[in-house]
Amino acid sequence: MEKILEVKNLELSFHTFAGEVKAIRGVNFDLKKGETLAIVGESGSGKSVTTKAIMRLLPESSSEFKNGQILFNGKDLTKLSDKEMQKIRGKDISMIFQDPMTSLNPTMTIGNQIMEPILKHQKIGKAEARKVAIDLLRLVGMPKPEARIKQYPHQFSGGQRQRIVIAIALACNPQILIADEPTTALDVTIQAQILELMKDLQKKIDTSIIFITHDLGVVANVADRVAVMYGGKIVEIGTVDEIFYNPQHPYTWGLLSSMPSLDSADEKLYAIPGTPPDLLYPPKGDAFALRSDYALKIDLEEAPPFFKVSDTHSAATWLLHPDAPQVEPPLAIVERMKKFPGSRYYEGTEGGTY
Amino acid sequence: MAEKLLEIKNLKQYFNQGKPNEVRAVDDISFDIYKGETLGLVGESGCGKSTTGRTIIRLYEATDGQVIYDGINVHDKKSKKDLKSFNRKMQMIFQDPYASLNPRMKVLDIIAEGLDIHGLVKNPKERKERVVELLETVGLNREHADRYAHEFSGGQRQRLGIARALAVNPEFIIADEPISALDVVSIQAQVVNLLKELQEEKGLTYLFIAHDLSMVKYISDRIGVMYFGKLVELASAEDLYKNPMHPYTQSLLSAIPLPDPNYERTRVRKSYDPASHNYQDGEEIAMREVTPGHFVYCSTKELATLQAISGSQV
Amino acid sequence: MKHDLQKPPASSFERIEIDSSHAERISKPSLSFWQDAWLRIRKNKAAIVSMFILAFIIIMAFVGPMISPHDSETQTITHANLPPKVPGIEKLGIMNGVGTLAGKEVDLYEMKKVDTYYWFGTDGLGRDMFSRVWEGTQISLFIAFVAALIDMVIGVAYGGISGYYGGRVDDIMQRIVEILYGIPTLVIVILMLSFMDPGITAIIIAITITGWIGMSRIVRGQVLKFKNQEFVLASRTLGATDSRIITKHILPNILGIIIINTMFTIPTAIFFEAFLSFIGLGLQPPDASLGTLINDGYKLIKFQPHILLYPSIIISLLMIAFNLLGDGLRDALDPKMKD
Repeated sequence: MEKILEVKNLELSFHTFAGEVKAIRGVNFDLKKGETLAIVGESGSGKSVTTKAIMRLLPESSSEFKNGQILFNGKDLTKLSDKEMQKIRGKDISMIFQDPMTSLNPTMTIGNQIMEPILKHQKIGKAEARKVAIDLLRLVGMPKPEARIKQYPHQFSGGQRQRIVIAIALACNPQILIADEPTTALDVTIQAQILELMKDLQKKIDTSIIFITHDLGVVANVADRVAVMYGGKIVEIGTVDEIFYNPQHPYTWGLLSSMPSLDSADEKLYAIPGTPPDLLYPPKGDAFALRSDYALKIDLEEAPPFFKVSDTHSAATWLLHPDAPQVEPPLAIVERMKKFPGSRYYEGTEGGTY
Repeated sequence: MAEKLLEIKNLKQYFNQGKPNEVRAVDDISFDIYKGETLGLVGESGCGKSTTGRTIIRLYEATDGQVIYDGINVHDKKSKKDLKSFNRKMQMIFQDPYASLNPRMKVLDIIAEGLDIHGLVKNPKERKERVVELLETVGLNREHADRYAHEFSGGQRQRLGIARALAVNPEFIIADEPISALDVVSIQAQVVNLLKELQEEKGLTYLFIAHDLSMVKYISDRIGVMYFGKLVELASAEDLYKNPMHPYTQSLLSAIPLPDPNYERTRVRKSYDPASHNYQDGEEIAMREVTPGHFVYCSTKELATLQAISGSQV
Repeated sequence: MKHDLQKPPASSFERIEIDSSHAERISKPSLSFWQDAWLRIRKNKAAIVSMFILAFIIIMAFVGPMISPHDSETQTITHANLPPKVPGIEKLGIMNGVGTLAGKEVDLYEMKKVDTYYWFGTDGLGRDMFSRVWEGTQISLFIAFVAALIDMVIGVAYGGISGYYGGRVDDIMQRIVEILYGIPTLVIVILMLSFMDPGITAIIIAITITGWIGMSRIVRGQVLKFKNQEFVLASRTLGATDSRIITKHILPNILGIIIINTMFTIPTAIFFEAFLSFIGLGLQPPDASLGTLINDGYKLIKFQPHILLYPSIIISLLMIAFNLLGDGLRDALDPKMKD
């Protein structure tokens, strides 16, 4: 598949009065046409900062690109002028934010808000833009769009507002849609509707989505590929099946085994001890080592490189080094690996040639 | 089951009562909480689950109804002394780890607040020792006592909130969405594990309010489902998940995303339409016991259907 | 995806045990809110410069009259209307005692046979302007500080009670405020001064009579915000009394905003005092404040510009410095309010 976005060796720091916070410390990934890439991680892992860097939405006074490139259709977004970036923002790449309450302007009708990017980026008249706006609202499943286009945000429920936000983001048929925790503020039933809508729309308009979330259930639902971030770095990246059924990094293990399953017996939940590293003083070596049950001596000295598990799957952990000892993952992970052809615990009946 | 610790009878909490903008946040709900159990209360935002918790602990005056704790109605007028002893028995853990700790106070003073109010320690040295003990109970240590709340991560803050509640040795703790503001499951798991451990150690009783159904299932013995101020279903955790009877519960359960891509690919979401009940005028709708210990908010007609279905399954 | 080329020694792949209590450590130094605010304000150059200017003016207001060789009240008619003359600087061609007399530039000190120096010159009665300016500053500052303090006390108490108890109390108290706010301040002041003796007390009352309303509104808003914060609710579930909640939880959290607001009240009070004096409702002679001095000087602006110049410079510096310092404090104490 065609690569639409490539992030290469991205490093980014914030300057605070306490010192330099190394928020992103060398991030590599690419986004293919039409796929959904989910970025998972806890707050402070750098997942939101990465996407805001792509959108160039970080305050220029306090943030600094230290290194790396963000290639969008061959153009390096870190080098563009503000004006050039404005042409891309909202047109080729658009963004949905977490809180549908604050991402809409309360004093503008939603019709005008949807028409704004259309009028700005496309050479069409007002009447036509209105038609496009009505079509968009219909697309995102809003009943009676002709009447509702004249209403203000407070006249809509939370779920409907998020639909409007999505309509605005899609107004110019973007090639990339970045969704930053778009369902976190919503109730589960509304969340399920919005996720269904996003998947549906993706099929219809063939856009690529970067989906940021901390909810692994949501990831399993929407993602084609998953990148797990920790301490300003990606620690594991692979297809959704590879990450959920054949995870390799101890942090991914920790995340997956701390989810209670609905049909599990009452055993104690696995909890990763401690708290994430303070990126004002990034740790030497593997940032996760201090919280890991699987730490190796070398983890404290040198940061692990990426080891390839398959063509689509790689993880940054010394455990994959040929010299590393064979370790037994947590029980819940072994259970998951049993379902994955290719893992050493696979218990499948068919095939078995691995 | 064990003895009743708390009985909630016909509890009502109306805001702006009698005015056109009256909100029936809690509308005539009744349930019991048994000693040593965890009762989960789930529902979507605005369904009144947090208001229920806050009314039980008297942060709001109830519009009507009774909350009977150990045989005493806590909403009766009482002397200051009685109120104080009640405050020691019942404690609360709050939702927002950022707003629930005073930003101008040191951890030592935050946790010691209950000790100070109830005069549980005699001198500063004993106070400090008690606070350190509490910090260790929640997995923190002495060096954290002299810090300010903003220096802690969300999960650590939530544990500080637990330590503050534990300072007065309560019997019953209302946990008002204690994990929903924590963004990663492993941090949520830390807090949930801690609550479970404490329950085993100290024989605590919990009312666990949340919207995250998978964690609620994990920690609760019984679960109540709320919808627009009403309790619509109450059953043991196993029973509720295996055999949800109210259509709203069914829709809620079908919407939970699970960390299992294969399951997610085949998931079918049910939606709930309140009009689907087709209640007639004058039909009395109430909590009715369908199978032992499994209550559903339904009409007598629905009860018959539900019992017929569950009877045929046995 | 790059592979590591240099091979680490096999021994480095040993499993190790990590002490998990280690992971709870906080590496940042512990900073209280006030320490943090100080770090912030130290970075704000304008605020720091303002602080020094204010310190200088306040010190001079007390020390100034003492270091001057002349008394502020002694009237030496023969020394009337002298321009400034400062030893040392006089050689530079400014402040050398040269003034205009009947269109010609002459050294007035030589003409009037005065052999001392008046650093800021003298007024029409031959009083030393240097002493008078600093004494006027003293009185202006005194009025401003006392007025700001009274504003603060009344405003915090009124707003605090109104916000904390809420309900009907709040309704009644807010209606009273609205009525008070509806009457133009100047009308109240003129009526009041018509049956009170003009003087420092009268001016302070005039400034504070409606001045506290702004503070009370801000405090009420803050109290309303904080009284439903979860940490206050937590304190209530622990059985805390109202007075404990107010003193331990609410006041410390709104102190920053109270300070900021007071910082902006002071220059307003200075200006209002000067304004009252300027329109003749203020202090009466022989007392002098910056306002009365400016009023006197303004009448002689064509002939004796120095009488207007010095009090004007000081009042301008005071206004700018207090406002810049207030801005700096706002950024430091309430980072969220910065837009």
